Amino acid sequence: MNKEWKMKKRVVPLLSFFLFVIAFAGCRKNELFITSFADAKFAKIGVMTGTTGETIANAKFPDAQIKSFDDIMDAVAAIKSGQLDAIVTTSVTALQVSKKNPELVCLNERLKDEDTSIAVKKEDEQLFAAVDRIVGELKANGTLADMNRRWFKKEMTPYEEKQIALPSRGQILKIGVTATREPINFVDKNGRVIGFDGELARIIGARLHRPIEFHNMKFMALIPALQSGKVDLIISGMTATEERKKKVNFTQSYFLNAQVMLVNKPGVAGKKEATEISSAADLKDRRIGVLHGSVHDAYAIKTYPKATILHYKTPSDIVLANMFVLKKNIAINKEVRVSKKTGEIPSFFAGIANSMQSNIVQENRYLLILEGLKTTVIISVLSTFFGTVLGAIVCFMRMSKNAILNVLAKTYISILRGTPVLVFLMLIFYVVFASVNIDPVIVSVIAFGMNFAAYVAEIYRSGIESIDKGQSEAGIAMGFTRVNTFIFIVLPQTVQRILPVYKGEFISLVKMTSIVGYIAVQDLTKASDIIRSRTFDAFFPLIMVAVLYYLISWFLMLFMEYAERLANPKLNRKPITNA
Amino acid sequence: MIKIDHLSKSFGNLEVLKDITVEIKAGEVISIIGPSGTGKSTFLRCINLLDRPSGGSIRIDGVDILDPKADVPKVRQKMNMVFQSFNLFSHLSVMDNLTLGPIKLLGMSKEDAGSKAVDLLKLVGLAEKAESYPDELSGGQKQRVAIARCMAMDPKIILFDEPTSALDPTMVSEVLSVIRRLAKAGMTMAIVTHEMDFARDVSNRVLYMDDGIIYEEGTPEQIFVHPQKEKTKTFINRVRSFTYHIASPDYDLYAMNAEIETFCDKQILAVKQRYNLLLIVEEMLQIYNPFLSKALLDINLAYSEKKESLEVVFESTGEAMNVLDKNLLSDELGLTLIQSVTESIDYQRLNNKNRVSLILKKQ
Repeated sequence: MNKEWKMKKRVVPLLSFFLFVIAFAGCRKNELFITSFADAKFAKIGVMTGTTGETIANAKFPDAQIKSFDDIMDAVAAIKSGQLDAIVTTSVTALQVSKKNPELVCLNERLKDEDTSIAVKKEDEQLFAAVDRIVGELKANGTLADMNRRWFKKEMTPYEEKQIALPSRGQILKIGVTATREPINFVDKNGRVIGFDGELARIIGARLHRPIEFHNMKFMALIPALQSGKVDLIISGMTATEERKKKVNFTQSYFLNAQVMLVNKPGVAGKKEATEISSAADLKDRRIGVLHGSVHDAYAIKTYPKATILHYKTPSDIVLANMFVLKKNIAINKEVRVSKKTGEIPSFFAGIANSMQSNIVQENRYLLILEGLKTTVIISVLSTFFGTVLGAIVCFMRMSKNAILNVLAKTYISILRGTPVLVFLMLIFYVVFASVNIDPVIVSVIAFGMNFAAYVAEIYRSGIESIDKGQSEAGIAMGFTRVNTFIFIVLPQTVQRILPVYKGEFISLVKMTSIVGYIAVQDLTKASDIIRSRTFDAFFPLIMVAVLYYLISWFLMLFMEYAERLANPKLNRKPITNA
Repeated sequence: MIKIDHLSKSFGNLEVLKDITVEIKAGEVISIIGPSGTGKSTFLRCINLLDRPSGGSIRIDGVDILDPKADVPKVRQKMNMVFQSFNLFSHLSVMDNLTLGPIKLLGMSKEDAGSKAVDLLKLVGLAEKAESYPDELSGGQKQRVAIARCMAMDPKIILFDEPTSALDPTMVSEVLSVIRRLAKAGMTMAIVTHEMDFARDVSNRVLYMDDGIIYEEGTPEQIFVHPQKEKTKTFINRVRSFTYHIASPDYDLYAMNAEIETFCDKQILAVKQRYNLLLIVEEMLQIYNPFLSKALLDINLAYSEKKESLEVVFESTGEAMNVLDKNLLSDELGLTLIQSVTESIDYQRLNNKNRVSLILKKQ
């Protein structure tokens, strides 16, 4: 009873928090409408980290606020919530985004046309020559043009993917991609990387008689991965910039992509105002814009005596004013009808159901989430085991009287605690294991385990030092060896004391694993990224993932609390027996 | 059984034990007494190698335990120790405290160890606490459990390191009676203690330690009634003393009074006598007050159980001068008050210090 209530008490604030987030998600800030590059001078512009779009935007709009995003769907979420006014991205991506988000349009002006090429490691000249030749042939025989037609569609019809037979044996060709850019490359319902680049990669694999393997990672991680030999080729809509050419070799271009600007479509139905106006009667105390001296002027003054009537010289001024000045109010035109009639607000639950459908059910996306969940749990649990053991060793060294061991342990702890986990993770993957073909999940376990070890080593130490020396002395005086004294007397008490802190460290480790996407591990967060890259729905997948992380933490916490009870001797007191 | 020759122990430059030679025979109960800081506890801890001796030899039944090849843990099983701070294993119940050693070290079955533990707990009067945890016991109970835990290992000798020093006065006797009972049963024991009465009637032999050596040893009669050497005599006569140092006129009066009262509590002094003592200290400090900015003052309280007399000694630095000289006092009120409660007042110039000693009137 009591316990149930406790659980309820815990769940209620959580649920209300999420409801709060969902409710606020509906509230949008006011947008600036951009119709040409000139309008974007002071705009908030979103760009993709490490792309040429970023460089161009910085050069062309020096006064604008440029904000970098790792993935297009993050930028789309930002523009939809009013954090951004425009996004600079490639024309193909922009096409795709506007296809799925009718309220966003692409400006007709182009920022720059650029060559999209395949990147090969500098030393890998043989592969470079082969791939370059293949691209040339594909261009010449029209394959690329055909692919262009099949993948870059203006309308919402399904893609026509060509099946390409790949050899099952041979040296694996590792392809680096950022598969969150539909239709260039993206993850389909079976978890395969497809799209223009996906198909191109398969064609190249087939021509080279090598099976291929995709390594799906963050865009900025692609070049380091190629340089360190984690991948053989980058086929990921990458532009051959001068800067990149210094680091890697680019084949001839396989596709001409343009950087364009994606902006909010002005006056689109469905863009909700904070205060809705559904009938003419609602206008009575609002601010109303009219054409100066027109019949509407007189009508408005007569009909809405309480309203503030604002006079404009041209109809376009009224429209502009409606968008920029009046904001939450209204402009009247000829027939005195409400110019911005909003449709029915879809009911809250219908909205949720709709999001569930597109984010979970469609294309079996729940499988992606389950797979991600599994990876997150595996990485968390394995790194905890590894970290716990390694932490014990570090703690032993730290407490050792041997000066060398002691200094080593101190250095280890201070380095690991002083380095961001993400940086450390990438260092391990791209530098330490650069030339080793190793499963990134194992790399994650090593990195997180090492990080965990640094923290728990100090937790262990404080736990051990908190046990009074007298008890060890009593054990030793009784005839226990030092080791046995530790095992039978110090350790059980240490465990009991450190569990609460250890628990907290463990839970923070679980959440920390959300960055493994950087080294191409598909965990829960990455799964949500992939889904967001397809649906461009920011809120539902993020909240879903937040809830899932909470549930993982909660279950693991329950388990730890169980362990804590086991470690507390007073709770398993035996009944008194009289011998 | 245990033969110790020329044992020495230093901590850094500090030589705690200088040269100790002693033999403990089976069935003996040995009390080790002496002033604080003379190495009594260190001596005991050296015997079972909790502190490794710096020199000398320790032979147990002829085996040199300082030999690097000696199996020290095995040797320790034969001579268990009772600590001042009990040191019960706080994560284990009383029962498990008693059975851990026998099961893990002696290879006893759980049942045998359990029934033995119950017997021992009955012996120390704590059978009903078998399933309690150490933090649920009083100090006296903890120490009795610790003694039972030692017994559970069937030791040949038990080393007691000030077993009652950390206890409230009310709990001292319950622990001492358990030790007495073991002594009667013929247990070999070495006890470091400040309980002189107890040392006197429980032991066969008393070692008086001072300055890192066994200064004098003998039967309780020899040590307590007819001590031969000077330091032993002083110690026996003034076993209980307390010193407070005053280095400036801004000394902490309340802390000092609290310590004096604690001292009185320990000595179980009568309320009247305690009141008189505080009165003397207060009046004397009034008289000393003008000099405190220049001189260092030590107040020493000593209670001799034997003479049942309480002596207060004021020792101050500075030029020779008796502060209680009537010619120097501005008024005689303080002196009159002091005289009314003292038996004798004595002034001496000793070691360049002015020494005023007062002996309180008996009840």
